Amino acid sequence: MRKISTLLVAVASASALAACGSSADLSSDGGNGGGNTAAPADLRFVTVVKLTGVGWFNRMETGVKEFATETGIDATQTGADDAGPEKQVKIIQDLIPQRPTAIAVVPNSPESLEGVLKRARDAGIKVVTHEASDQKNTDADIEAFDNTAYGAHMMDELAKCMGESGKYANFVGHLTAKTHMEWAAGAQARAQEKFKGVTRVADPIESQENTGVAYDRTKELLTRNPDIKGIIGSAATDVAGIGRAVQEAGLQDKVCVMGTSIPSVSEKYFADGSIDKIFFWDPAVAGKAMLKIARLLAEGKQVEEGTNLGLPGYESLKRFPGNATTFHGNAWIDVDKSNAAEYKF
Amino acid sequence: MRLSRLRGENNEGLLAGLIILLVLMMGVVEPGFLGPATLTNVVRSLLVDLTFALGMLVVIISGGIDVSFTAIAIFSGYGVIVLMNDLGADGTVWPFALAALAGAVLGGLNAAMVAGLRLPTLIVTLGTQGIVRGALIAFVGSQYLSNLPTGLESLARSDLFAVTTGGGTARMTLLALPVAVLCVLVALLLRSTMLGRSIYAIGGDVESARRVGIRVGRVQTFVYLFAGALAGFGGLMHVTLSRQANPYDLVGSELDVIAAVVIGGASIFGGRGSVLGTVLGVTLIAVINNSLVLLGVPSAWQRLAVGLLVLLGVGLQALGQGRRKSPPILAEVRS
Repeated sequence: MRKISTLLVAVASASALAACGSSADLSSDGGNGGGNTAAPADLRFVTVVKLTGVGWFNRMETGVKEFATETGIDATQTGADDAGPEKQVKIIQDLIPQRPTAIAVVPNSPESLEGVLKRARDAGIKVVTHEASDQKNTDADIEAFDNTAYGAHMMDELAKCMGESGKYANFVGHLTAKTHMEWAAGAQARAQEKFKGVTRVADPIESQENTGVAYDRTKELLTRNPDIKGIIGSAATDVAGIGRAVQEAGLQDKVCVMGTSIPSVSEKYFADGSIDKIFFWDPAVAGKAMLKIARLLAEGKQVEEGTNLGLPGYESLKRFPGNATTFHGNAWIDVDKSNAAEYKF
Repeated sequence: MRLSRLRGENNEGLLAGLIILLVLMMGVVEPGFLGPATLTNVVRSLLVDLTFALGMLVVIISGGIDVSFTAIAIFSGYGVIVLMNDLGADGTVWPFALAALAGAVLGGLNAAMVAGLRLPTLIVTLGTQGIVRGALIAFVGSQYLSNLPTGLESLARSDLFAVTTGGGTARMTLLALPVAVLCVLVALLLRSTMLGRSIYAIGGDVESARRVGIRVGRVQTFVYLFAGALAGFGGLMHVTLSRQANPYDLVGSELDVIAAVVIGGASIFGGRGSVLGTVLGVTLIAVINNSLVLLGVPSAWQRLAVGLLVLLGVGLQALGQGRRKSPPILAEVRS
C-alpha cells in the first residue's frame, strides 16, 4: 500500500515538473510560436575570446552586446584571465555539454584548439573563428582583411617613417599565433620586394600578449641594436610596452613604433612620438561579423564569395584562395595622433 | 681566516663576487652591456621585487613564509587606481600611503591566522592569496586600465638623474629613492631595535623566545602587517612604473622574490638573514634575467637558472647548519 502511494506521489511530482518545464518553454519562446529552429529566442551564441579584461576584447564585447540587443538572440562573451591556449580549451570543453547553437572563437593558438572544436562540431554546434585563417575544424573563419596585404600596408607606413632604410624588428603575441605571423611575413615580404634598405634584425619576437614582456624585449633590442629604426607590434598591448621602453630610452625621434593596437592603449604615447601610428580593425564590428555568420549558418544558409554582412568593411566577403571556409573583409583603419580621438575604445 | 670574513656572515661576499663576475663576463660577450643603461635598467627592474623582498625577509627571519604578497600587492595597487579614478582624485604621495595601508589591512588577515590561531604560515598565506586575488577580480575590477592619474604618470617619468649617451638616454627613476630609504629603515629595524632582535629570536626558536619573555603573537602580528604594507607599497610602485594597471599582473611571480631572499642568505628555517644579502640576492636575479634576455636565451632558461640558484642557496645553508648546530640567535647570545 505504502509502496503504491509513494509511486503515485513520484509520478505526480514528475508530471508537475514536466508541466512547469513546458510552460517555461512556451513563455521563453516570446510568443514566436513556430517550430522554426532559427527563431532568435531559440538561439544561443557564445563568443570565446583570447583573454578578458583588455581593451580590445572589451570592445568586442560591446559588439556582442549590440548584436544581442538588435537581434534578440542570447549572445554572450567569455574568456580566460590570461592568454594561455590550455585555458581556452578548457572553456570550450565546458561549453560543449551546454549545447549552445554556435561558438565564436578567437583562438590563442588555432592548432591546440583543433581537437576541442572538432568535438564541438561533432556535437552539432556551429563554429565560427576569427584570427585563425588556417583553422580546420571550423564552419567559417572570418578575417577583417587579407593578412598579407595588411602586413604589407604596415610596412609601407613604417618604411615611410624610417626614410626607407634601416633595421626593424617585429613583435608577435605568440609564435603560434597564425595571424600575427602572417602580418609579420607580409611586412617582411613587402620590405624585401620594395624597400631594399629595410632589413629585419631577427625572427619575430614573442611578447606573450604581455606589455611587460614587450617592454623587456624592447629594452634588450635597443641595447643589442643601437641603430634600430623601426619596431612593429602585433598584439594590441605590444606597442604600449614598446613605446614605454623607447620613451624611457629617449629614442622617440629615432625609432618609429607602429603596430596593431587600439587608441585607448596607445593614446598617451602619441603626443611625443613614442608611438607613431597604429592600425586596427574594429573588434566590435568583427565580433558582430562572427555572430552574423553564426546566424546565417544556424539558419542553414551558406557564407560565400560576395556575401554582405551589412557591416562596414564586410559588405562583400572574399574567399581565401585554397581554403573554402576562410573569408575576409576589407576593414583596416589607420590611426595616429591626428585622428585618435575619433575612436573611443 | 681573512677569506672567510670576506665571505660574510650570510655569504654576502660570495654573492657580490658572483654578481661582479657575471657583469664582467657579460661585458666581454656583449660590449654594449657595460654602460649606464644597464645600471638603470637593472635598478628599474629590481625595485618592485626588492620592496617585496624586504617584507619577505622579515617574514622568513621570523620563521614563516608568505605567498600572498603578490595578491596583496596587486589588490592594493590596482584598488588605489580604481579608487582614484572613481573619485577623480590625483596625487603622488598619498596614493602610496593608502596602498601601504590597504596592504597592511590585508596583511592583517595573515596576522590574525598566524599569530591568533597559530596556523602554519604557508597554508594560511596560500589561502589569503586566493581570497585576496578572488576579491580583487570579483569586486574591485577585472579591466585593464591603460591610463593612470596624471600625478602617478608624471612620477613614473621623473628621474633622479639621466645620462645621455650615443644610444639614447639612461634614466634613473625617482622611485629608486624611497626604496633605498626602505632598505636602510628595515636594516635599522632588524639590527638595532628590540622588535628586530625579537623577530630573529622567534625565527631561531619560538619556544625559547617565548620563555625569555618575548610576546610571540605581537611580534608575528607586526611581521605580517609590515610585510603587507610593503607589498601594498610595492604593488602601487609596480602599477606606476609599468604605467598601466592590470589586475592579472604579479600573481605567479612569488618564486623570484622568495628565491632572491633565500639566495641572499636568509635561512628558510628562520632566525637568519640580512638586508644586504637580500639586496644582493635581488640584484643577482635581476642581472641574470637581464643577461639571459640580452643573450637571447628563452625565458624558460631564466626559470631554470633561478630554480638552480635557489637549490644552491638552500644547499649551502644546509651545509652551514651541519657545521653549527645551535640556532644563530643562541650563538649571538653566547659570544
